[in-house]
Amino acid sequence: MLKYKGELAKSLQPGGSLEHWTERHLRYLMLAPTVLILLVLTIFPSVYMFYAAVHRISPNPDLPWEFVGTGNFVRLISDPQFHVAVRNTAVFTIVAVALEFVLGLGLALLLDRYIRRLSFLKTVLMIPMMLPPIAVAITWKIIYEPQFGVLNEIMFQLGLPVQAWAGDVNLAMFSIIVADVWQWTPFIFLLMLAGLASLPVEPYEAAALDGASSWRQFWDLTLPFLKPVIAIALLLRVMDALRLFDLVFILTGGGPADRTKVLSLYIYQVAYRFADPGYAAAISLFVLFVTIVLSTWFMKRMRLAE
Amino acid sequence: MATIRTRSRGREMLLRLSAYLTILVALILTLFPVYWIAANSFKFDIDIFAVPPEWLPRNPTLKHYDEAFIQRPFLRYALNSFLVAAGTTAISVTFGTMAGYALARFSYPWQWRKQISFWILSTRMMPPIVSIIPLYLFFNYFDMLNTKSALIIAYTAFNLPFATWMMKSYFQDLPVELEEAAIVDGDTRWGAFLHVALPLARPGLAATAIFCLIISWNEFLLSLVITLTEQSQTLPIGIAGRVTQYKTYWGEISAAGFMACVPIVIFAFIVQKHLVRGLSLGAVKG
Amino acid sequence: MLRKFCLALAVATSAFAISASAWADFTVLVPSSSEGDGLRAAADDYSKMKGTKVEIVQAPYANVFEQGANAGATKSGVFDIILMDDPWIPFFAENGHLEDLTPYFKNAGMEGPDNDFLSKSLAICRNPYNTGPYVCLPYVGNAQMFFYDAAKYKEAGVEAPKTWDDVLKASKTLTENGGGRYFGYVFRGGQGNPVVADFMPIFWSYGANMFNEDRTKVTIDTPEGAAAMKTFIALRDVSPKGIESYNANEVGTALAAGTAASSINWPNWVATFEDPSQSKMVGKISYSPIPAGTKPGSSEIGHWTMGIMAASKNKQEAFDFMIWATSPEQIKISASRGNPPVRASVFTDADLTKQEQFRHYPVLMEAIQASTPRPRHPKWPEIENAFGIELSKAVAGTITPEEALKNAQAAVEQITGLK
Repeated sequence: MLKYKGELAKSLQPGGSLEHWTERHLRYLMLAPTVLILLVLTIFPSVYMFYAAVHRISPNPDLPWEFVGTGNFVRLISDPQFHVAVRNTAVFTIVAVALEFVLGLGLALLLDRYIRRLSFLKTVLMIPMMLPPIAVAITWKIIYEPQFGVLNEIMFQLGLPVQAWAGDVNLAMFSIIVADVWQWTPFIFLLMLAGLASLPVEPYEAAALDGASSWRQFWDLTLPFLKPVIAIALLLRVMDALRLFDLVFILTGGGPADRTKVLSLYIYQVAYRFADPGYAAAISLFVLFVTIVLSTWFMKRMRLAE
Repeated sequence: MATIRTRSRGREMLLRLSAYLTILVALILTLFPVYWIAANSFKFDIDIFAVPPEWLPRNPTLKHYDEAFIQRPFLRYALNSFLVAAGTTAISVTFGTMAGYALARFSYPWQWRKQISFWILSTRMMPPIVSIIPLYLFFNYFDMLNTKSALIIAYTAFNLPFATWMMKSYFQDLPVELEEAAIVDGDTRWGAFLHVALPLARPGLAATAIFCLIISWNEFLLSLVITLTEQSQTLPIGIAGRVTQYKTYWGEISAAGFMACVPIVIFAFIVQKHLVRGLSLGAVKG
Repeated sequence: MLRKFCLALAVATSAFAISASAWADFTVLVPSSSEGDGLRAAADDYSKMKGTKVEIVQAPYANVFEQGANAGATKSGVFDIILMDDPWIPFFAENGHLEDLTPYFKNAGMEGPDNDFLSKSLAICRNPYNTGPYVCLPYVGNAQMFFYDAAKYKEAGVEAPKTWDDVLKASKTLTENGGGRYFGYVFRGGQGNPVVADFMPIFWSYGANMFNEDRTKVTIDTPEGAAAMKTFIALRDVSPKGIESYNANEVGTALAAGTAASSINWPNWVATFEDPSQSKMVGKISYSPIPAGTKPGSSEIGHWTMGIMAASKNKQEAFDFMIWATSPEQIKISASRGNPPVRASVFTDADLTKQEQFRHYPVLMEAIQASTPRPRHPKWPEIENAFGIELSKAVAGTITPEEALKNAQAAVEQITGLK
């Protein structure tokens, strides 16, 4: 006790001891600001979300919140619009991220040797990522425009049948995916290039001596070496794909025939158009749950948490 | 990729050619929509929808730039976006770097390191749409609606986890020996971080900063609800405002959208040397 | 490096100081479209004249509703006046977000708004519709009109279209001769508000209605509804591919660029059609009220109205401003700034109607007088969404028109709890 008091008193003196104290607790002091900021900023929204999810909240401020227990979650089971949104979100996430990954990795593999020194070119290829998503969405709307759009003009010149793109039931989701792939493939491409740039040389020399084919080298060496960077790239992209909003909001509004209604759009509608924040919170909890389960499983598989 | 020494000259030539061809195609596909925004921003409305399309503006005009930046407060929006993005990036990168360093270098009792790491990442998984209502209540309570500080605080919540993870993986890749040497030479632990690790991490800082900058410069949903007047409204809100109930002002949107990416592109070119190296070290390990 | 970041941090914190806002005497929430611009200009005049500081908050169209609803639901007095699209009125009024204006009229020694306002414009400002107390005042008068290229219609053998059958006949010929690059008709098929907005006038002109007279039954799946749907689908068949994602803008552009002959649209497009930098069809587009089906045609009313938020702390100032802004002189100034008026005296003002850009005023006044409001229901946004999904499916052809009516009937019954 006394010793502790003495130490405290010493540490308050000017000079070395405060530094000593700081030094001893550096591991906590360096982590503290981030943890505190995130706690403050996430604790209120999280508590609110859990609390709202078990209530029916009227837009009328004079009516009390009505406790409904699991009511909002039960509603999820029988809500056809929710099911459609889950399916569309799954399709979008899987197809878009897969395409971005294949294109990004493929380009990186092909170009690694040739443009490694042209960092200028890499920055140019990053430009789509830097545009405001809302401007991207509006630009693609002009490109897809069935009557005046450039895309149909090109189809016409090539003698191909013109399409309605974002206005076609069967092409609408595809159109959204293409716009997303355009904007975010550069992200994966750059992460892959970065990964490739730091691969060790020796194993490849050994493999070449053994006469391994390029394909085998890729499969046995490159892919395993790239695993961590692939994992983080996919994780970040999947997390973002699950919350896709701007593109759908501007390009299709969820139509035609509900084919592009994704979860974010539905949550937005329920919370703001239909003024039902309780149900919106329940859907959001579902999304949060799926995201956490997916990423935990993924990180375990990829041994990323180390 | 791997070089196979025994490859014939002709095949090598063919590969090189196809690689350059692919670069060319990728460049065209990447840049065409950007060019199209730029081209449309210089056309009269009627020419934006010409059939067949005008590949080059035939009657170039600065009309839309005048409408957006002189008649409408897009300069003000740009200034707001800049202040908010700079503030968010500064806070996120500073604290994210410290936390990332701590999580990469120090050990903690129990399994804290792993759990805190995952918790930090998981805060980014919350669908932003639903945190809007509580954040609105939060800022309304503290009388901070329609302030840039509210936006900086909200964006920090999304960027800090990202910055922490980027910097954590970056520091994990740096050899620890240099810092140990500095401590042996009499430097403090903090001093070793400040004088040894941080300068080495410069590329990682550049990469993290540009991602934070891009995300907060372009954020739309939160800004929509938190900001009210041009005192705090940001560029994406200004752009969205030109999609009205009756009409979409393509020309103004193109002008504003094109100018919006210019500062980020310039910044990217300034830090590009660091950036590519930063990515090539930082992101490699989880 | 860290020093640089500290510098940036300092820059950012200085931003805090700048953003400490000086709140005004009262605050008005408006959309960032021409209505909002008009009211902003009026507020500037008011400030100069009275020395009152009016703050204007401009949000993108789609977000004015949620800004208002957020403020209303949290009783935040951040806005005093809200400029509302008229279908939102029942939501705001019935959830206690809007102030009843009756006592303010009484204090001012007025019965209510004067009868120079068009009666249809006043009817939507009362809740319940046309019978309840006033909760807002009309500011911008909009109703859909029918736009068509008279020369092209003549070519197709229709002099002046009076009925949907005329429109179909002309459009069919024009689309068949257009070779996939020119179309007789074009409409808003985008899921949600757009497709509903362009279906309702047809729905009404066949005598159909969403609810019965006293809002106790849903009446979508009826013979009248089926007749309207038949015309709607026939119109789709003569419209271009891709209308499934069209909104007012694409429809207007198609007419301005001269690739389609007719459509329903809002009167704001008149100015665009007559501007050579935006239109190839200057002087060639004619306007008329909505064509008839089996009943006289009726367009959808789309007014912008000003109401006082219940949580406002400056209600009297807000009311004084509203009365001033909707006075005949101010409505005339507002009209000259490009927003259609809500007063008969301004519609017929010779100063305006002799100008080319206001030559549609007689037709517009007629359209407003013959207009129908969107069904007055506090859950209208949800109803519109559900109805919009079924219409979008019918337009896209993934379900039959009959199924669409049946599903819409069931969905609206479920939302409203009417069986």
